[in-house]
Amino acid sequence: MTNTIEAEGLVKRYGDKMALDGVDLEARAGSVLGVLGPNGAGKTTAVRILATLVVPDGGSARVGGHDVRKEPAKVRELIGLTGQYASVDEKLTGRQNLVMIGRLLGMNRSAARARAAGLIDRFGLRDAADRAAGTYSGGMRRRLDLAVSLVGEPSIIFMDEPTTGLDPQVRAELWAVVREQIARGATVLLTTQYLEEADQLADEIVLIDQGKVSARGTPDQLKARAGDRRLEIRPEHDAEKAARILAEVTGLSPHHGENGLISVPVLDPTLPPAVFRRLDDAGIVLAEHALRRPTLDEAFLSLVSTPARPPAESPAETPGRSPAHDPADAPAGSAERPSA
Amino acid sequence: MTTRNTFAQGMTLTWRSLVPLRNQPGELIQLLLQPIFMIVIFVVVFGAMSGDQAGAVQHLLPGVLTQVALTQTITTGLRLAEDIGNGVFDRFRSMPIARSAPLMGRILADTATMTLTVAVALLVGAVVGFRIRTSPLEALGGVALLLVFTLALGWVSAWLGLRAKSAASMQGMATAVLLPLTFGSTALIPAANLPSVLQWWAALNPVSHLADSLRALFTGGPAGAHIWITLGWAAAIAAAFVPLAVRAYSRRIR
Repeated sequence: MTNTIEAEGLVKRYGDKMALDGVDLEARAGSVLGVLGPNGAGKTTAVRILATLVVPDGGSARVGGHDVRKEPAKVRELIGLTGQYASVDEKLTGRQNLVMIGRLLGMNRSAARARAAGLIDRFGLRDAADRAAGTYSGGMRRRLDLAVSLVGEPSIIFMDEPTTGLDPQVRAELWAVVREQIARGATVLLTTQYLEEADQLADEIVLIDQGKVSARGTPDQLKARAGDRRLEIRPEHDAEKAARILAEVTGLSPHHGENGLISVPVLDPTLPPAVFRRLDDAGIVLAEHALRRPTLDEAFLSLVSTPARPPAESPAETPGRSPAHDPADAPAGSAERPSA
Repeated sequence: MTTRNTFAQGMTLTWRSLVPLRNQPGELIQLLLQPIFMIVIFVVVFGAMSGDQAGAVQHLLPGVLTQVALTQTITTGLRLAEDIGNGVFDRFRSMPIARSAPLMGRILADTATMTLTVAVALLVGAVVGFRIRTSPLEALGGVALLLVFTLALGWVSAWLGLRAKSAASMQGMATAVLLPLTFGSTALIPAANLPSVLQWWAALNPVSHLADSLRALFTGGPAGAHIWITLGWAAAIAAAFVPLAVRAYSRRIR
């Protein structure tokens, strides 16, 4: 059985608003696909389409090899859904929620109870297991929600912003659960607003912004794409002379930062050694030097245009977009509407 | 999806709707207090005002029972709207279960609580002096008629709940439907005492016929055509609203 996720050209409109405007997604079997984007980017809509909750206006998607439109029942047998919009029953206890899901999935009473007990232990809910879920704290609720989605040991798991609003400790616990699921062989599609989360968990990241894919790649590729590496040096003395050498070798005028930090973008990997040789020849001692990649935060900011723009404006005029994401955006403009 | 699976899932979801009554004593108390309050207010207070307490209790209790049962039909749509609003519905939809199971569970659970409410109301009625003067068979017939009619109204409630934007708006709409039905009827006030504009409506109103049927089936006297008219209305309401609710449901659940 394949547990892959593939989507091509997903389109979804809500009234005048394009929630998704030609989004392609692909997750290999056993990998984590991180769907990253600001609020309202269309992440949840994408998950809801893949989890058979929403029918797309255009495009197609296969989950575990089954078309979400033609064989939703087959898809539902493979998936687990957790996050913002799939919720637990607040009036039932944590244990009752878990038993109910087990029974709905066809387990007999004792099997459903045993499975519930195991998940309660695994998710550290023993003390709260027999209290109504409505009394749970935010973190406990998310843990229960995740546990509920894992009752049937799904081979494909959708997690829609599973850690939004949680404190770092609970977040780390949930990350551990995601890693366990991967170790078990499951495929995970995870949406998040947190770069760190995508960086930590995802094998591949798709950046969605205003219903379109604005970039995709591994976390490292995205960081690389977001901007050039920068060579940063802090000379102990002779800062002027060091800056001049930097300029001569790289052919670019260096930027003077705080605390005597001098930096310059470098595209050619042979340049930094050349810079260090010249500085050494000149007898300049460096207090600090680094070849720094941009953080994923910087990548995110340079790839996503957060302020909403009027739809009439051409996307080409939007500042701050990397030109590197053209392939993903190309088919989006020609989103065709299927017969409704 | 086999029929057996569908039935098992429906029963699991019925359990899920009933178990909060056991979990939280507050839920159960709230369910039981409603008939108690209504009976105390209408039967005892209005009965005392009329002077003939015993006669008033015999006349009013079937009417109050009707009102209590009708008010409770709101639950069906309200809980459906809540499940849709807080994402529980989406959880069920993402699972490999029969599409009909959540609706089936809801209706079965509400029928069970309705039976409980009617039993409690009759018990409280006995405490305040209401006496069933007919045969057990006729009395059971009365209970059955009430359950059949509220089940039909439950589908109106379900339809409203499935179409509503929120649980609160569902409650508002349901109240707007129920008020003219319960108060514009002969359930509590004899037709002769109603303003003339309301008299034609009360004569048509199925709730009048339901209340008069219950009176006849519990305390004796001629039921006349009331039972048949009530059943006719129940059939008509069900014929109109079961398909409407199922359609609204399939839209929500596809």
